Amino acid sequence: MRWHKRLLVAGVTSVLALTASACAGGQVRGGGGTPQPQPSGSQPATTQTNDSTFVYVPNLDVVTDWDPATSYSNEIIALSNIYEGLTRYNSETRKAEPRLATEWTSANDGKEWTFKLRPGVKFHSGATMDAEAAKKAIERTIEKKGGAAYIWDAVDTIEAVDASTLKFTLKYATPLDLVASSGYAAYIYDVDAVDPDGKTTAGTGPYTIDSWQKGKETELTLKAFDGYWGGWRPEQYKKVAFRVTPEITTAWQLLQNGEVNFVQRLNPQLFQQAGTTAKVQTAQVPSFQNLLVLFNTASGPTKDERVRQALQAAIDYDGLIAALKGSATKASGLVPQGLLGHATGMEPKQDLAKAQELLADAGYGPDLPELKLSLTYAQGDEDQKLLVTLLSSTLKKLNVTLQAKPMTWNAQWDLGKKQGQDIFVMYWYPDYPDAYSWFVNVFKSAEKPQFNLSYLKNAGIDAAIDALPQLTATDQLKADMAYQDLQKKIIQEQAAVAVPYVQTYQRALTDDIQGYVDNPAYPNVVFFYDLKRAS
Amino acid sequence: MARYLARRLGQAFLVVAGVVMLTFAVMRLVPGDPAVAFAGPKATPEQLAAARERFGLDDPIPLQFVTYVRDLFTGDWGTSLRTRQPVRDDLYLAFPASLELVGAALVVAVVVGIPIGVLAARYKTKFPDFGVRFTSMLAVSVPVFWLALAMQLVFAGHLGWFSIAGEYDSSLDTTSPLTLWTNITLVDALITGNWPIFSSTLEHLVLPALVVAAYPTGVIAQMTRAALIEESGQDHARLERALGFGETSILTRFALRPALSPVLSLIALVFAYSIVNGFLVEAVFNWPGLGRYAAESIKSLDTPAIAGVTLLVALVYTLANLVVDLLQGVVDPRARAR
Repeated sequence: MRWHKRLLVAGVTSVLALTASACAGGQVRGGGGTPQPQPSGSQPATTQTNDSTFVYVPNLDVVTDWDPATSYSNEIIALSNIYEGLTRYNSETRKAEPRLATEWTSANDGKEWTFKLRPGVKFHSGATMDAEAAKKAIERTIEKKGGAAYIWDAVDTIEAVDASTLKFTLKYATPLDLVASSGYAAYIYDVDAVDPDGKTTAGTGPYTIDSWQKGKETELTLKAFDGYWGGWRPEQYKKVAFRVTPEITTAWQLLQNGEVNFVQRLNPQLFQQAGTTAKVQTAQVPSFQNLLVLFNTASGPTKDERVRQALQAAIDYDGLIAALKGSATKASGLVPQGLLGHATGMEPKQDLAKAQELLADAGYGPDLPELKLSLTYAQGDEDQKLLVTLLSSTLKKLNVTLQAKPMTWNAQWDLGKKQGQDIFVMYWYPDYPDAYSWFVNVFKSAEKPQFNLSYLKNAGIDAAIDALPQLTATDQLKADMAYQDLQKKIIQEQAAVAVPYVQTYQRALTDDIQGYVDNPAYPNVVFFYDLKRAS
Repeated sequence: MARYLARRLGQAFLVVAGVVMLTFAVMRLVPGDPAVAFAGPKATPEQLAAARERFGLDDPIPLQFVTYVRDLFTGDWGTSLRTRQPVRDDLYLAFPASLELVGAALVVAVVVGIPIGVLAARYKTKFPDFGVRFTSMLAVSVPVFWLALAMQLVFAGHLGWFSIAGEYDSSLDTTSPLTLWTNITLVDALITGNWPIFSSTLEHLVLPALVVAAYPTGVIAQMTRAALIEESGQDHARLERALGFGETSILTRFALRPALSPVLSLIALVFAYSIVNGFLVEAVFNWPGLGRYAAESIKSLDTPAIAGVTLLVALVYTLANLVVDLLQGVVDPRARAR
């Protein structure tokens, strides 16, 4: 009879484990304050022609922060459909377009901005969106000091001149129309209705929360906001679901089966397959995120400009792009295509003869003393690893040994702030669609460098960087030329950095989706309102 | 018995204390600043300082350890850097889903493993035995990640018999919302009579449960076979044979019961093992359990969450062993001397 007791043991163990986990007694899933789905009859039947749900597959959890003031993470893919800013960036025209503001002007050399607000816009809470409400929202975002709130650093005062006029006075000139189009920290919301727990939304956007279940596969569902100022057409998607699927092959299978509509990221092999699969369409666009190989200009062997130039010439740019199989495009300068300031004709090329010559000048090379360089890059990043492997084998032939160390971002950054390496590999992307971000953060002198990890210190370059915002705000043509000039100085003259590639977004969608445009200013965001379903 | 109880409890306490120290050490020794991970790479120095203060990172290490242990006892398992939720809340969501998967897998393992073990023993060295031994060897040794992908590709992708991924059809949340009691979907659907979610969960559960079941089924079948063969060589079996009982009858009526004893203690061990083994399966089938949570936490270097998962799994292991030991001590006094 002994096995009965053994069975009892196993049973008791399981029960104990179950009891330990049983905590959620009596809650309705999606409950705990999360709004319950409304009966489908709550919307007028005439607008329900497209009653299918658009299913978006992200690889990571969707929401970590519901507060539109401090949100600074993956939830941009949902919040961009719930909240709106004064403007939205158009990556084709490279300009800000009307959203909650219909028109705007700047005065006093870009230090004064006046926005005319769209009339008749209601928040999801029912309150009216007017200048006073917009002022309160931006002021709250600034006060919270979270996420990307720094984008408003230039703002001195905000004034609600009348119900539809919002006036900003700035401390220094800034292209505020671009700032206002940021995907982070630029939302206009009803400050009295903000709920950090995601029970309600306080935006003006086309969608509101239908259900939110943290940790579940279908983490978040959105539904159409009936009172949206843009109105609704029958063919638009009224329901959206975010189905978190970390495993890429699983996401691909779901798409092939038609269970989901949009996969945010596939690997290059699957993306290639997707291009030839029936009922699947693909889209790819260069992002605003590029890889920077920063050379230590302050100390060590790379202090010698010739060594830095040799390293630039040693990188196998074309080989790298080929090996990345479409997930990256060749960079031309520091500013990715689609942003004001993008320089054409600056595509780098490998030139080993030049590299060897420059190294020989500096006293290193095959018949000269060996050069040892330390490099740090992101642990687990296969693309960066590829760059390092290719560079390392090329340099070996030039009698240069690359001591490459994969590190976590935190550790790498800590080391970088202490000037602990010769070469620092990292990505950069702007928070709002403006090239200024690369220059002010990465290449402007600083006593204690945060991101200036080439430790470049050049008064002329600093002065040119400081002049960029005002130029962008007042004379875009001149700003464009200033950007081009700066890139030549930083990349060619100073050789502080090499830019091997710009990352490419590769998406796969079901072929019944129409109207999809990948806007790199809003990373991984699908503006569901702009889509329709082919009948 | 009291001394035995005290000794076993003391041992369990030491194991848990060791794991607590280990998780704390891992959290603090991983290079880099948790405040950066929480506040984001572009955080301003003020935001970093606020995050450092929030997590007490400026305190001396011994004080941080004391605070950590005190918080664990008061139920505060820290805040996840990735989800921004208390780790305990995250685990409350993820762990029951893992239990559901492993529970279903163990049912399969017992229901399939024991009978085929008997079959193999009955036809020892004949074709069925060869087949069972080969298949169970395969089930034990095939990489679980590969098996998961293969099953998904064939039975969900090509044949379309089952769903590819997920716990249940999420559109049911709208049509028949589920009331949660234990957080185990299948159990909650059953006790609240929510049949649409119950059947959808069962349908989604089949493939991942079969994959997780592969290893325990193989082990149980082999163990049953070995134990039965040993039992059928004992004196009592010879006597039964002499009395005219057939081989099948000897195996199932007399040898099976004593042979099952080691098999059943094996189940308790395989239970804890399968929770970890299920991690990869959860990733492939997008099962919202501990494995998926752990995988995502590791990917984003969410140290408090990783520590939480480690601690929970260690507690389950320790608890399972402790309960088995204690009950063995009750039913079999010889165990107390061991």
